[in-house]
Amino acid sequence: MTTAAIPPNFWTSTRRSFAATIRRDGFGLLAMIVLILVILGPLYSVVLWAFAERWQYPSLIPTQFGLRYWGETFSRADILRALPFSIVLALVVTLLSAVICLPAAYAFARMKFRGRQLLLLSFLATNAFPRFGLYVSIAVIFFRLNLIGTVQGVILIQLVNTLLLMIWIPTAAFQAVDRSLEEAALDVGASPLRVFIQITLPMVMPALSAALLLTFVNTFYEAQGALIVGLPRVVTMPVLMYSLINSQLVVQYGAVVSFVLWMPSLLLLLVANRLLRGGYLTAGFGV
Amino acid sequence: MATLDLIGLTKRFGSVTAVDTVDLTVADGEFMCILGPSGCGKSTLLRMIAGFEMPTEGDIRIGGESVTPLGANKRPTAMVFQKYTLWPHMRVFDNIAFGLQLRRLPRAEIARKVEEALALVSLSGYEGRFPSQLSGGQQQRVALARALVLEPKILLLDEPFSSLDAILRVRLREELRRIQRRLKITAIFVTHDQEEALTLADRIAVMNSGRVEQLAAPTQIYDNPATLFVADFIGAMNLLTAQVRGGQIALDGVALDAPDGVRDGAVTVAIRPEDLALLPDGDHAGAWRASVEQISDLGHYRRAILETPSGMIKIYLPKTAAAEEGSAVSAFVRRYLVYQDGAPPREVTRPLPAQALTV
Ligand SMILES: Nc1ncnc2c1ncn2[C@@H]1O[C@H](COP(=O)(O)OP(=O)(O)OP(=O)(O)O)[C@@H](O)[C@H]1O
Ligand SMILES: [Mg+2]
Repeated sequence: MTTAAIPPNFWTSTRRSFAATIRRDGFGLLAMIVLILVILGPLYSVVLWAFAERWQYPSLIPTQFGLRYWGETFSRADILRALPFSIVLALVVTLLSAVICLPAAYAFARMKFRGRQLLLLSFLATNAFPRFGLYVSIAVIFFRLNLIGTVQGVILIQLVNTLLLMIWIPTAAFQAVDRSLEEAALDVGASPLRVFIQITLPMVMPALSAALLLTFVNTFYEAQGALIVGLPRVVTMPVLMYSLINSQLVVQYGAVVSFVLWMPSLLLLLVANRLLRGGYLTAGFGV
Repeated sequence: MATLDLIGLTKRFGSVTAVDTVDLTVADGEFMCILGPSGCGKSTLLRMIAGFEMPTEGDIRIGGESVTPLGANKRPTAMVFQKYTLWPHMRVFDNIAFGLQLRRLPRAEIARKVEEALALVSLSGYEGRFPSQLSGGQQQRVALARALVLEPKILLLDEPFSSLDAILRVRLREELRRIQRRLKITAIFVTHDQEEALTLADRIAVMNSGRVEQLAAPTQIYDNPATLFVADFIGAMNLLTAQVRGGQIALDGVALDAPDGVRDGAVTVAIRPEDLALLPDGDHAGAWRASVEQISDLGHYRRAILETPSGMIKIYLPKTAAAEEGSAVSAFVRRYLVYQDGAPPREVTRPLPAQALTV
């Protein structure tokens, strides 16, 4: 199946209807401007700061543009260490979380056992209460176990963070797969394992991918847990950013780092978009 | 192609007995319908044959060999479900080819068989579609092709057409019957639609709360329902309770002869609406004095409801029958069945008097 192509007159027709909307609907226009200011305003300032070499007060835009601070930022030893470490850490945590949570999600969706509902709700608990309190009490336990300041400690605390997403989304996805589709596959002679791989898995794939992507991004940006458990020896990118901003050396360091931190999420959004629009999925599910 | 034997088959879900010691033999190439009201255990019976449910007790034999210990994927059965169960992420071709690929057939042979199967269900050229691009009727035909392509020994169908509209349902079941005859495949068709069962089946097994009440050919089931349940469930029937005294069944307003073997005591008299005839108003032996309460024209025949001393009675009349709502008539019983104490019914037929208004 082909993905829906953008029709040739898409932009012109969009522009025309856009203009019509503005003429009709002054309030809509106002709302849009406010939204742009609120959402894009801060982003705009970060981007400008990232490329500013000098920016004196009354001026609306930087007085001098340039890439000097990019060079300086990426020659800082702490950043060069933290960035790849953060990416690998997020990958490892996502993978571990998948290994732990996906079979559990399958069990939640497919098996009836006592306390199933309660157990499912318990994963909500980690998100229902202020996280900081939870982290502090975990940190106390970790301290006794000598996990403070270790990579294992950070992995563990970040895993806690991923549980809700990685259990709930896949559980819902597995539940949504009609049992009779699996029975039909058994019926034509497929072994239970093959049924899972060739029938169940492809049908839950969009949801699983979404859960994996979201988990990766969330973990990559996670700072509180990593801050409490990781410091002083383990420093992830978001943690480093806190210290960069707090120590207020140069605004540009913070801006450049923020800019870089957006990249994974933008990239993943693009990938997710491709994935969810993937030809066979849209055709297969009649989306 | 094989015989199927169910021996003392029982399935309990906790305290619910869904299927209760069913003994059934389906002959090679036979088209058997399982008919019964909702919740009587039809699907559970079929799912045990397919291997989706483990029997609590009993044995299932295909071609004389027990398949009870085998999983669904090891049994020579193929099922068409009530729900649409085509795999949404596979094209029609792959849906049908899946089972063949599992059997490691050569590609060319798979392609040939898929093509044949699609031709069989009149869907040649639909290989490349996804299920979401098919209508409900087309999806069920692909599901049928998917089952047939594996050349199963037993074809199982669980109300496969019940979610389709009436016209399509009739067309598909005729198509199914034609295919089944041609392939001479043993088929078990579950339905709660008696018309479907009566038109399709070589034999019908009528089920009620987990048990088979009657197993017989359609005409036999219709003409001689073995139990009161079957009498009530199949077709329209007037059921009247009465007392037998001195060889006469004393209904209100009429006395009918009690057949041989019926003792004094309570009986139920069953009269098909087409086994009643109208006589001119007046006193006739073995007829009620009645008034026509309601008449509906149903195309090729008319259905009337008569008010008699025994209550409301349904009657079918030819289109030509002269009867008007509110008119006074006599209703003559030409044929009736008498049920007593769960014994097989006794049948009585009587010659129509000369004065009959209807033939
Ligand atoms: N998995 C199950 N767990 C518990 N009870 C069940 C289960 N499956 C079926 N039953 C019960 O067994 C009985 C028979 O169900 P079954 O589905 O076989 O009926 P059916 O004749 O197919 O009805 P319908 O015409 O509505 O499909 C019902 O009382 C049902 O509630
Ligand atoms: Mg059923």
